[in-house]
Amino acid sequence: MSPQDHHHDHDRSELSETELRVRALETILTEKGYVESGALDAIIQAYETKIGPHNGARVVAKAWTDPAFKKALLEDGTKAVGTLGHVSRVGDHLVVVENTSARHNMVVCTLCSCYPWELLGLPPVWYKSSPYRSRAVKDPRGVLADFGVTLPKDTEIRVWDSTAETRFLVLPMRPAGTEGFSEQQLAELVTRDSMIGTGFPKAPGAAS
Amino acid sequence: MQTNFEHFALGSMLGKPDMPPKDNGSLCFGAPWQRQAFGIALALSKQGVFEWDDFRSEMISSIAAWEATHDKSDPSWDYYEIWLAVLERMLHRSGVVDQSTDIVA
Repeated sequence: MSPQDHHHDHDRSELSETELRVRALETILTEKGYVESGALDAIIQAYETKIGPHNGARVVAKAWTDPAFKKALLEDGTKAVGTLGHVSRVGDHLVVVENTSARHNMVVCTLCSCYPWELLGLPPVWYKSSPYRSRAVKDPRGVLADFGVTLPKDTEIRVWDSTAETRFLVLPMRPAGTEGFSEQQLAELVTRDSMIGTGFPKAPGAAS
Repeated sequence: MQTNFEHFALGSMLGKPDMPPKDNGSLCFGAPWQRQAFGIALALSKQGVFEWDDFRSEMISSIAAWEATHDKSDPSWDYYEIWLAVLERMLHRSGVVDQSTDIVA
C-alpha cells in the first residue's frame, strides 16, 4: 500500500505490470522533485473529502437540528452554507427547498446538467440522461415511482429546473425515530438522492 | 483551502466523455494504483508541468480511439489504463520523463 516502497525487485512478483508502471512514474517524479507524496495525498484527499454528498448531508443534518440555521438556509442557501466553512465554494446561487408532508421537491436540469456538485458530489449518470430530464417535468410522479418513491396522492410535487445561475438542494424531511440523534448520526442517513428529491433519507437502523 | 484547481479540473470534466468513473457522487478507484495515477496527473498539472486542457484533449481522443476499435461492453475497458497511458505520454512530451533512460518497469 505504501507509495514510498522502493523495493521493486522484491515486490515484482506480486505486482501487475500496470502497478509497476505507476510506481516507476511516482519514483522518477519524486526523485526529480515533481511529486512529493504529502502533496499527492493532499490532492487526492481533497477529492475524497471535500467533494461528495457528505457535504450536502452535513448541511441537511444541521438544518434538522438547528432551527436558526434552517431558517437562514431557506432564506439564502449560498450564504448559510458559506458560514459552515467546510464546503470550499458553492459556485452559484444555491436555493434550498424544503420537503413537507404537503409538498415534495425534486430537482432536474432540463437544459444541461447543472448540479450543486460541491454539495452532492459528482452527478449520477441518470441525472443528465434525456429520459430523466424530459420526464421529470411532464411526469414527476412516474419518474419518482421508477426510483421506488411513492408519495401520498395529495402531496404536491414541485419540480425545480436548475440553470447555470441557480442550483437547488432539497431539504428532505427528517426521518421518524431520530429523536436525540447527533448531527453526525443524522448526516449518515442523508442520501444523495434524497437531496435531489428522487429518494428519501435512510431510516434509522437501516443498513447502508 | 487550496482547492480551486481541483474544482476547476474536475468541474471541466463533468458530463464530458473523459469524466472519471464515480460512485454515489464520489470518485471511485478500483485499485490503489488508479488513485495514485489520478493524483499524479492532477499534481503535475497543478504545478504547470502540462496544461489540464491538453491532458483532457488527449484523454478524449484516446477514449474515442478505444471506442472505435472495441465494443462498448468490452470488459477490458479500464478508464485508468487510458489515464495512465495519457499521463505517460504527457510526461514524455514535456520532457519530464525520458523514455529511454527513465522508465524502469
